[in-house]
Amino acid sequence: MVTWRKSLLAALLLSCVVTIAACGSSSSSPSSSSSASSGSTSTSTAAPSSGTANAAVAKLVPAALKSKGTLIVAADASYAPNEFIGSDGHTVVGMDADLSKALAALMGLKANVVNATFDTIIPGLASGKYDMGASSFTDTKAREKVVDFVDYFSAGTSFFTKASGGTSVSGLADLCGKSVSVESGTTEETDAKAQSVKCKAAGKPAVNVLVFPTQSAANLALSSGRAQISMADSPVAAYQVKQSNGTFKLVGQPYGTAPYGLALPKSANSAPAVLAALKVLESNGTYKSILTKWGIESGAIPASEMKINGATS
Amino acid sequence: MSASEPSDRRTGRPDEIKAVPVRRPGRWIAAAIVLIFAASFARTIITDTGTNKGFQWVWVGHYLFDSRVLHGVWTTIYLTFLSMVIGVVLGIVAAVMRLSPNPILSRASWLYIWFFRGTPLLVQVLFWYNIATLFPTISLGVPFGPAIVHEQANSLITPLAAGLLALGLNEGAYMSEIVRAGIISVDEGQTHAAQSLGMSRLQTMRLIVLPQAMRVIIPPTGNETISMLKNTSLLYVASFTELTYSVTQIYNVNYKVIPLLIVASIWYLVLTSILYVGQYFIERRYGRGFTRSERASMRARWLSFGGGKQRR
Repeated sequence: MVTWRKSLLAALLLSCVVTIAACGSSSSSPSSSSSASSGSTSTSTAAPSSGTANAAVAKLVPAALKSKGTLIVAADASYAPNEFIGSDGHTVVGMDADLSKALAALMGLKANVVNATFDTIIPGLASGKYDMGASSFTDTKAREKVVDFVDYFSAGTSFFTKASGGTSVSGLADLCGKSVSVESGTTEETDAKAQSVKCKAAGKPAVNVLVFPTQSAANLALSSGRAQISMADSPVAAYQVKQSNGTFKLVGQPYGTAPYGLALPKSANSAPAVLAALKVLESNGTYKSILTKWGIESGAIPASEMKINGATS
Repeated sequence: MSASEPSDRRTGRPDEIKAVPVRRPGRWIAAAIVLIFAASFARTIITDTGTNKGFQWVWVGHYLFDSRVLHGVWTTIYLTFLSMVIGVVLGIVAAVMRLSPNPILSRASWLYIWFFRGTPLLVQVLFWYNIATLFPTISLGVPFGPAIVHEQANSLITPLAAGLLALGLNEGAYMSEIVRAGIISVDEGQTHAAQSLGMSRLQTMRLIVLPQAMRVIIPPTGNETISMLKNTSLLYVASFTELTYSVTQIYNVNYKVIPLLIVASIWYLVLTSILYVGQYFIERRYGRGFTRSERASMRARWLSFGGGKQRR
């Protein structure tokens, strides 16, 4: 090939590569803002006053977050009705998603709720990948060592089993010698393993704790008989039993009522802003209406109990 | 060569040849550049001594020989070994069936390969682990007749059995293509010669074709074994305590995610390196009689680095 043709070809290829790279980077921003805007239109019917920023709240938002403009919220969408994938197949919906969008709007930010496996959310907050974790986190002292929490809900743990042929238990103590399916990284996993230690100390057979990456996998193990019982947060257990159309049933008594917290990275200093926004939602009735929409208003807490790092255990 | 004497103009003898090794400055420059980059990269990683952020080598050392991690390593080893054995056996059977003149056998094998290569391994693991949702009881016996064994699926197919079935059947499908490649690489003349000696198809395959096919089968099989070592981590969806799962369980409690993932990576690297050694010896055994791929020994290569004798 003639030399000038070679250099012309090289120049053309180079410009193609540069154009493709530029297209790739610029197309990512419009798609993320469109998903955030489609998210806010779905919640506008539930919370009419959440669209506008609140000046007092916006003042507390840290500068880094304000300049970013987006609040990246992580939720493990296998936990209906708190967080699950909607009917379009990719948007995270549920109580935590609605609450996050309402809070972000008051802070003058756009919420981008992403799906992430539960046990990756707290490490993701610590590494700066996410700005907030709204995934039915129980506020515990152990977790408070890694992230900050803004308490916003109250829930206990319930047991459920197969409706026909399932095993009945009345509480944690009955789990000795049984197989339990739990989700990885949850307080249920910690409780089941602690109970297993107690069973062995008392001379009884240990609890066979089966840990799965998502609650859906835990439910599947229950329905296939690998596990005899499953444990999940009470509102979630009640909702999933209802949705299962008679496959599962609740057994025993819920235990360990504890606050849910919105998880925030310690370094970001966003807890005061989130707490202020939450209290605004509580005072204007949006908080109650979001919970009622998902049928879990029994776990609502009064404004006096909404605090930063209020773990009881 | 003796030192050169000035040429004897009177007798017209030519000068002694001054033989100098070919100077290869490019080699030295390239080597220096690579070594400098490697050294500075190593320095960045090793001198990261933080205990709360970054690599946290302190925690890596602390958990490297933790009993849960070691239990996970052992589980990974025997899972890899057992599923590769199942996979290789199934692969040979499926490949031979595929090349069979019997159309039913050939089609059946094709169907098995098509299905198990066509579905994701993760889905297969979930399916076998939760098989009781589809088949609550399993009977083995005379087809359309009395059952000899009639069992609950969950007790007949234990979590270990489910994991091995998933990994083994999937591996068998991939191995069958590798074995088939090995078989068709053996010159057809070998089969003709064997048949002219009166050997049956099975004898031909077992004594003549397969031993020669092994030379072509071993390198990709080594690849598959190394791959299987990591595929065992998919059994985390079946709540199996192999290495990745064990490490996850630890960092779920202490949130030291990066150090523990480094611990798991180190163990996987160690196990993979052991497989390299094994593969070298197996390849040498089956490569006897084929000289084409003989390479200069490592010592000869290092000695010729600075120039001098050309590397063959």
